[in-house]
Amino acid sequence: MSRHGLSALAARYVPRPLYFTLVMVTTMFCLSLLSAAIQDGGVSALELTLLILYTILMLWISASFWTAAIGFLVLASAPLWRSQVAPVASVAESAPPAEPFKTALVMPVYNEDPERVFAGLRAMADALAQIGQLDGFEFFVLSDTREPDIWIQEELHWQRWSAELGQQIPLFYRNRVENTARKSGNLADFCREWGGRYRYMIVLDADSLMSGETLVEMVRRMEADARLALLQVPPVPVNRASFFARMLQFAGSLYGRLFVAGLAFWQQNTANFWGHNAIIRVRPFADHCGLPKLPGREPFGGDILSHDFVEAALLARAGWKVQLAPDLGGSYEEIPPTLIDYAKRDRRWCQGNLQHARLMMAHGFKPLSRLHFAMGVMSYAASPLWLLFLIATGVEAYFNSLHQPVYFFGYNVVPIWPESYVIEMTTVLWVTLTLLFLPKLLALLLLALDRDEARRFGGLLHASLSVLLESLLSVLLAPVLMLFQSKFVAAILLRTSVGWPSQQRGDHQTGFWEAVGAHGFQTLIGVGVGYVAYEQVPDFFWWFTPVLAGLLLAIPVSILTSRTGLGLGAKRIGLFLTPAETEEPPVLRQLEGRLAAAEPLMATPSSTHAFWTQAMLNPGVYALHDALLHDEPQTRRRRHILEGLALQLQDEGERSLSLREQRALLSYREGLHLLHTRLWANPTLALPPLRVSE
Amino acid sequence: MGSGITHPLDTLDAPVPPAWSTPEDQAAVEQRVRHYLHALGVVAGPEVEILVQQVLKRVELQATVAQLGEPLEIAIEETHRLLDRWLIAELGLEAEPDRLAAARAAVLGGHVPGWTQRWAGLSETPLTEVLQAARFQAVPERAPLTMEASAIDLCCHRLARRVLHGLGRLFGFSTVQQAAKGSH
Repeated sequence: MSRHGLSALAARYVPRPLYFTLVMVTTMFCLSLLSAAIQDGGVSALELTLLILYTILMLWISASFWTAAIGFLVLASAPLWRSQVAPVASVAESAPPAEPFKTALVMPVYNEDPERVFAGLRAMADALAQIGQLDGFEFFVLSDTREPDIWIQEELHWQRWSAELGQQIPLFYRNRVENTARKSGNLADFCREWGGRYRYMIVLDADSLMSGETLVEMVRRMEADARLALLQVPPVPVNRASFFARMLQFAGSLYGRLFVAGLAFWQQNTANFWGHNAIIRVRPFADHCGLPKLPGREPFGGDILSHDFVEAALLARAGWKVQLAPDLGGSYEEIPPTLIDYAKRDRRWCQGNLQHARLMMAHGFKPLSRLHFAMGVMSYAASPLWLLFLIATGVEAYFNSLHQPVYFFGYNVVPIWPESYVIEMTTVLWVTLTLLFLPKLLALLLLALDRDEARRFGGLLHASLSVLLESLLSVLLAPVLMLFQSKFVAAILLRTSVGWPSQQRGDHQTGFWEAVGAHGFQTLIGVGVGYVAYEQVPDFFWWFTPVLAGLLLAIPVSILTSRTGLGLGAKRIGLFLTPAETEEPPVLRQLEGRLAAAEPLMATPSSTHAFWTQAMLNPGVYALHDALLHDEPQTRRRRHILEGLALQLQDEGERSLSLREQRALLSYREGLHLLHTRLWANPTLALPPLRVSE
Repeated sequence: MGSGITHPLDTLDAPVPPAWSTPEDQAAVEQRVRHYLHALGVVAGPEVEILVQQVLKRVELQATVAQLGEPLEIAIEETHRLLDRWLIAELGLEAEPDRLAAARAAVLGGHVPGWTQRWAGLSETPLTEVLQAARFQAVPERAPLTMEASAIDLCCHRLARRVLHGLGRLFGFSTVQQAAKGSH
């Protein structure tokens, strides 16, 4: 066999056995150290619990560590990341397709900021236009928005763009009547209605951005491999200014590449779907990715919430390739600006990921898809497991402290020193810390090997300082997130609501009382546990101080890290700089430009009324909204109900109507006409003086 | 029912004063129609005068049939109806409410220059082609794909029930039970 054939075989069959062997060996090594340390005179039930918990957690940590370590080796040996964005030349050189096809850029939205949604799409259209590659792309806003104000604004943005660009860039918009099955249902509805029009769809999130080169390259790669059904381009976090978000952006940009390269190495053709910034072959998606409702009640039954993992698994089950593209840059997303918003996002994702526990053992899925499900579950289950591990360690330490060592017994004349396991315990600790922190050092080492890249991160010195700061803060934040996630998992398992409002995406800062509300209980836990540990097991207390410090400082850390001033100050002195900041990609500049040039959609003379009622007073906006609704046969009963709602709005104001009632008025032509007419027929309507031209 | 609580039927008993009987009423209606036409985009004096007269004539016609309790609402409705009739005639539409709505959105969105003149009957230039070209297309033509829910066969789902059912079948219990159910 030729050398090329051998290396191809090795590339195909070596990665997974190598990776899983490394993970298992590391876990077994750590486990053997710990079991040697605690098996003093047999294993108690508590010690057995500790060992089981430690095994699960070590599997999780070492899986993550080896992904990063392999990623480091891959990147160090073949610096793919030096040419992250696919060169435009290769795009221009590619042969035209045998038969023309279209690619839809679909953006499912649900009550998102319409200004940002449309500015993002415009920025991507501009980026495609700049490289002369607009042909074959169409933009589709798939709105599941329920809020009347946002719904009307989306329509106005759509109208504005359509008027500006005409037929040059097709931009389509639809608002779904019922948001059945949420985002997965939204995409499925798109496939059912218009899927036949497109060969590919590039799925975007409301805060996604992709460069023109990357969009074109994604299509080219799909065309090059007829068995490739889904190509995920890892998004890099960008555009936030708060200290917390800039720190995450830095971590995502610097360490993320290691993990992505490592994941691509061992996942191969059974990679995962991250929900957005991915291109999908529409027909196999329609054939295989219709999601059933899971039997039983929520949280584990009903609609599949985290649909992306399941869709990737269904494609893989049907024999299609699902790949990750670690070498493709130009893929961006925005992240929550504050710790509290980050936790809120976790709350949304947590239930969906826990639901995957039921799918792990479902029939027919590939083993790697099962592993993706398990990792999804572990990304939230790890927190309560760590919490249990800490509690069990504390209890074990307490029981150990009750035993007084006996130095002389039997006929021995010399003292029998109790066997010391300090070396084993210290080794366990150091190995665990190494697995957690070494990837950060490897990422720095990678920068040291490439001066240009180091410069993009603000220079090696600044990047090192940023890594140090980020590591310290992540130590403080880890116990806070652990408690948040444990609470979410418990709430989901107990089927109770944690009652948090929706997440805010834009930059904003955490106030004192908001921080107290979110972290007050965590601080109390820190005080209580710290006091008990100090009084009962002083030795354990000092080991426990990093966790306690995180809890005790949760309120000030949450407030301070939410500050945009602090984030921008760090930027000024060269901390947490990312390539997206030092060499801002054109598509990000285009987005900034679009957002800066945003003009009001319509004059809103009164601030006492909601935007949607003022909008319905405007005949142009009314007619636009009416034109975007579908005509339905009317019945006398329906007309009476709508008439009642219009009268209620006129007599008691829009706040007297529920969200559903407001939406009902806006969803039917008959109701809309009644609303428009009654608003104009209001005797007390304030009208400006008339100006009549000749 | 307490004195502070009113029944919906009380509204029927309350007297409604006729609101088209005095010149002040008519002036108020005329003023509102002028405002509404202005909001529609009709700002040229002669166009406004023609259209206001047409609307008021229609409102008067309605007042001869029955007393008007809410003439402002009737006036707005009549203005709207006048616009729709013109659009239907201009486009030659027949029972096509979606196309009518699109044409209305096109003219009111400012995409059809000179439409107010034509609506008021002051222009001979037909706008049929312009109106058709300005047609709104928020979504493309349908190109449906079938997307059925894939089967996901969960492991251990209702395992106990399935095992019991299997055991029941093994011992012929479920057959007996089904037969018993069937006999009712």
